[in-house]
Amino acid sequence: MSAGTDAKEGMRLVYHRFSPFHRFNHYLVMISFFGLVLTGLPLKFKTSYWSQVLMDAFGGVAAAGFAHRAFAVVNILYFILEGSYMAYFVLGRKGPIFSDDSIVPGLKDWQDMKGMFRWFFGKGPKPLLNRFTYWEKFDYWALFAGTVLIGGSGLMMWFPEATTRVLPGITLNLALVLHSNEAFLATGVIFIFVHFFSAHGRPESFPADEVIFSGYLPVEHYIHERPLEYENRLKAGTLDQVVRPAPSKAKRRMFGWVTGIVTVFAFLVASYTLLLIIWPLFF
Amino acid sequence: MGGDLNSARQLAKEFTCSKRAAAAAVLAIVLAIVLASAALAASTTTLLPATTNTTAPSGSDQAAGSEDLTTRCLTCHSQEYLGTVQDDKGTQNLYIDSAAYHDSAHGLLPCNACHTGFSHDPHKMVNNAEFFRQTANEACRNCHDDQFEMYKQSYHGTLSRGGTAAGEKAPICIDCHGTHAIQKVGTLEYKQSISDVCGKCHGGREATFLDTYHGKAITLGRESAATCVDCHGAHSILPVSNPQSTLSEANILPTCQKCHPDASKGFSTFLVHVKPTSTKAPLIVFAVAVFYLLMIIAVFAFGGIHTLLYIYRGLKDGMYFGKGGGH
Ligand code: HEC
Ligand code: HEC
Ligand code: HEC
Ligand code: HEC
Ligand code: HEC
Ligand code: HEC
Ligand code: HEC
Ligand code: HEM
Repeated sequence: MSAGTDAKEGMRLVYHRFSPFHRFNHYLVMISFFGLVLTGLPLKFKTSYWSQVLMDAFGGVAAAGFAHRAFAVVNILYFILEGSYMAYFVLGRKGPIFSDDSIVPGLKDWQDMKGMFRWFFGKGPKPLLNRFTYWEKFDYWALFAGTVLIGGSGLMMWFPEATTRVLPGITLNLALVLHSNEAFLATGVIFIFVHFFSAHGRPESFPADEVIFSGYLPVEHYIHERPLEYENRLKAGTLDQVVRPAPSKAKRRMFGWVTGIVTVFAFLVASYTLLLIIWPLFF
Repeated sequence: MGGDLNSARQLAKEFTCSKRAAAAAVLAIVLAIVLASAALAASTTTLLPATTNTTAPSGSDQAAGSEDLTTRCLTCHSQEYLGTVQDDKGTQNLYIDSAAYHDSAHGLLPCNACHTGFSHDPHKMVNNAEFFRQTANEACRNCHDDQFEMYKQSYHGTLSRGGTAAGEKAPICIDCHGTHAIQKVGTLEYKQSISDVCGKCHGGREATFLDTYHGKAITLGRESAATCVDCHGAHSILPVSNPQSTLSEANILPTCQKCHPDASKGFSTFLVHVKPTSTKAPLIVFAVAVFYLLMIIAVFAFGGIHTLLYIYRGLKDGMYFGKGGGH
């Protein structure tokens, strides 16, 4: 940071993308997911040397099981909050469900995806992406739907005696198959194939995207990353709803630190998880 | 708006470009540490068994008389070059691992507690497999009558006396416990080994058991989880169809209730031995397992290709390091 930029503090503008509510929810998901993966996956990959190490670090299988349930409560809290928000958005605020701004997938996402592939192969320009890209929508809905399945099956395994008072014993077999596979799927989607890549690995966000922690990004960045939303807002004259003066330097530095720490931590958790999964293939 | 763009651009650089190199370096260092510690831990695990093997036993706490006899027998029988002798059914390895013998549950027994009639003087030979098989059980019976009586009534015990083809394969005491390195039961290590003991002959059952919570938990050290013998019994094993079995229609619920006091009839119908991806599994379990298998392959493949292409384009257009901010 140069001294020159500090003098112009008052003139800076940022684009506000996430409200404190959504940022808070992201923390809930993030913390609970890390915890659940670390306490759950060792059971699935029981023969891995690294599973034993992790289980011992947690103080044994029973203690890890307790921690898994504690993190599950946090995860369920996210689900309740996000679900309530959805209900409020649709029923209370009567927010538009099918709009350019919406997280609901539409035809444009299909076209964007084809456009991105054309761009990958150098056969066209990068498509003008909207407020939420198709992979962000996939991420969001995969997590939400996944939480229903994994949470539901998890609760059945948490209370197996109560579950089988009403349902037959095979329900627990189903719950295990579902929970175990869905957990593996979610881990792959979040740690490698979709989420971490979009937040850290894409050229636009490499090495880390601060927006989910601070809530804003520089206007310049915004214009290039979400060109369509910007254009629409410019035309509709609603740009001032989302563009605000930048927060103080101290605050920006704080968000920088938060992002840095979370990135390193996330990177460690993801590496450990991959190590744990890959280890038995070789040893 | 336009007037602010200059400062916005400045800000954008500050947020993205200037930190990239530093952050990439940090990630590289973290990765290096993770890999280094992995390699370190891997090398220590491979070393461990070697060190335990070389520890010599201390015979000082042995009873004087039996120690005397045992030591003399071992003068010859702890020599690895003693080799094998032929009997009418195969070969007998005459070598006894002295350290393992002294560490075993029978470490204090003189050799002739089981090998009655043997003395350390050059001894008569009984090169006869039938002899060994018979005496094996009888030898144990002298001191472990309770287990022997139970075993006799069990399916394994009945089979082994029947002289049928299955009987040849049915386990006698030493097939499950070993001979000269019998371990104390009740320790975590022993419980963890039980599935392997049965798995020698019931491999498929072992695999399915290890995929349930019980199997996973005991593998990772949760001592209270059930092993084969908590459900089937150890010396009183009977086919599930036998009403006397611990897992028969009438007995299965109490068996689960030993550890799951609130279990109901429905709970006990949980399938312990099911391989979800096998066509023999109940259809709904099979369907869900196959659905997820295909789903995982599809999602990972698509995500992987998308990611690689994105990186390729980003590198090709110099979006990562070259032109800061990807613009
Ligand atoms: C707990 C009873 C028991 C004790 C104590 C015991 N043995 Fe054995 N031993 C057996 C049985 C049973 C067999 C037959 C094994 C078989 O059929 O495979 C056997 C077999 C053997 C054999 C034949 C080769 C083999 O391993 O099958 C030798 C040699 C032998 N024992 C030596 C010894 C010596 C030396 C000691 C004392 C250090 C000793 N045993 C103590 C039960 C015992
Ligand atoms: C002088 C060395 C020596 C000593 C001492 C000795 N053995 Fe042996 N033992 C042998 C040899 C050699 C054989 C194999 C003989 C053969 O098959 O011809 C053998 C065979 C055996 C067998 C297998 C029997 C068979 O018929 O195959 C047993 C069991 C056994 N010994 C037990 C003992 C016990 C118990 C003691 C101590 C009381 C003991 N031995 C002491 C040398 C010794
Ligand atoms: C001379 C008597 C004697 C003979 C014969 C004998 N044992 Fe033992 N066994 C003992 C004694 C004594 C112990 C130690 C019990 C203890 O430490 O609590 C023991 C312990 C055991 C244990 C561990 C029990 C536990 O509570 O952890 C097993 C398993 C065992 N014996 C199996 C066998 C088998 C199999 C045979 C036959 C090959 C056999 N024993 C022959 C006396 C004998
Ligand atoms: C099918 C395998 C198998 C066979 C055959 C077998 N055992 Fe066991 N035995 C076990 C297991 C497993 C345990 C541990 C039980 C537990 O943890 O509750 C055990 C435990 C024991 C114990 C410790 C005390 C107890 O009852 O828990 C003794 C003693 C013993 N067995 C002796 C024998 C004798 C003697 C024979 C032959 C008559 C025999 N066993 C046959 C598997 C077997
Ligand atoms: C040495 C091999 C061997 C070992 C070890 C062994 N079994 Fe068996 N078992 C058999 C044989 C052979 C049968 C008869 C199979 C048949 O009837 O087709 C059998 C039958 C059974 C049965 C009756 C159901 C059936 O498949 O017919 C049960 C239950 C069983 N074993 C459980 C166990 C358990 C639990 C253990 C470990 C404590 C164990 N077995 C260890 C060989 C073994
Ligand atoms: C939680 C209790 C439980 C545990 C633990 C368990 N089983 Fe079973 N086992 C059952 C039940 C219930 C059945 C009958 C239903 C079936 O065939 O799947 C069964 C069936 C069997 C059968 C076939 C019996 C027959 O009569 O057809 C064998 C063999 C068997 N188990 C071996 C094992 C082995 C080996 C282990 C350990 C690796 C083990 N079991 C662990 C509950 C258990
Ligand atoms: C030796 C004790 C023991 C026996 C016997 C036993 N279990 Fe368990 N089982 C456990 C323990 C401990 C747990 C872990 C419970 C927990 O985490 O709260 C468990 C967990 C389970 C679970 C998984 C619940 C979850 O969290 O996913 C199932 C299903 C189960 N047992 C079924 C059975 C059935 C069916 C039987 C009877 C055939 C049985 N168990 C017999 C000890 C036992
Ligand atoms: C949201 C609510 C959740 C609940 C109530 C829950 C509950 C449970 C329970 C009860 C078990 C059985 C093991 C034990 O008793 O310790 C379990 C296992 C497991 N959980 Fe969860 N869980 C939840 C979410 C998650 C998530 C988000 C993940 C990871 C992405 C996860 C990963 C796992 C794994 C891998 C296992 C082991 C499955 C196996 O044995 O193969 N769980 N969970």
